[in-house]
Amino acid sequence: MTQAQAQSGEIDWEAGLVQRARAGDARAFERIYREHSGRVYGLCLRMTRDVQLAEDCTQETFINAWRALGRFETRSTLGTWLHRIAVNVSLSKRRKSGPVESLPDDDTGAIGDWTLETPVEVREIEAAIDALPDGARDALVLHALYGYSHDEAAQMLGLAEGTCKAQLHRARRLLRDRLGMEVLSA
Amino acid sequence: MKIKSLRDLPQEIAPPRDLWPGIAAHIAPSADAVKASDVAAARPAAGRIVRLRWLAAAAALACLAVGMWIDRSLLPFPGKVEGGALTVSTKGAAGPALDVSYVPDARYQRQRAALLASLQARLNELPPETRTKVLASLATIGKAKEDLERALGKNPGDALLQELLVNTYQDEMRVLIDVHTASNSGEGI
Repeated sequence: MTQAQAQSGEIDWEAGLVQRARAGDARAFERIYREHSGRVYGLCLRMTRDVQLAEDCTQETFINAWRALGRFETRSTLGTWLHRIAVNVSLSKRRKSGPVESLPDDDTGAIGDWTLETPVEVREIEAAIDALPDGARDALVLHALYGYSHDEAAQMLGLAEGTCKAQLHRARRLLRDRLGMEVLSA
Repeated sequence: MKIKSLRDLPQEIAPPRDLWPGIAAHIAPSADAVKASDVAAARPAAGRIVRLRWLAAAAALACLAVGMWIDRSLLPFPGKVEGGALTVSTKGAAGPALDVSYVPDARYQRQRAALLASLQARLNELPPETRTKVLASLATIGKAKEDLERALGKNPGDALLQELLVNTYQDEMRVLIDVHTASNSGEGI
């Protein structure tokens, strides 16, 4: 740890783990895995809808992260960085198993926090999300569940921001149809 | 359970099995291949300079300073930054929850106290900007130590946390030694 790092307030023990993992310490990297595997697996599972594929994606995410640790910039959070890798891996694996749909780049305006008219059972909403087409589900998961902005979600998915918003608009319409209630966005 | 906002859905889902062994199998060869010399070569030039500066300073402080940070059994006790001045705690380095091996011995504590006692005078010789920089560094390092000690309090046997804590003590020593070097040479840090 240098004084410059100390001054910029970047000293925390996760940064210490990253530093040690960069130097080849697999034990430190295992700690990073233990800390982040749930969020990475959760995202992979929602994007792939397949337990085996999600496991593969999670493993590949951390293997790729290990190889790319030298390029990790500490100004972004480790969790977000891992999510970016997980999205890339999940999209790549999914492309191998089928065609990727695309939507026209039409901007449907800002979509914020997603709430339901009345409370719904978790398993019911999870099933409704699972049933969404891939593109709409990807955008919904990143934006409405994991809280990434339109711009961040679009970048992660390799889409134009307008396309990402269109996918979200589509997701909302489909969820409304499946749940039989309006899905409100603030 | 019912929810009303999609944000209430769980972001974390535990994998049905431990995926680490598969990951470890892939990264183990590269982890083993990373030798100390490779790490040193990969370290940025600025990092090497800092390290060289530290080594030079350590040599100047002879066995006193070198012995302090190399020997894990000789750990510093915490200094505390308050109101722009460095105050010295006389408590042991380890909180009550930490492993007994973290408690420094009396000889080290005396040496440490002497170094820290002169530190305030050294700081006073430095330009205000440098002094502010040093105090900010020490405060941040102090926060890191607190976080690690808290984590160790919950999991006292965690070897990695213990190692990180020792590393943090070493980082603090590097800053302290830099202060001595800078005040001797009349340079900033």
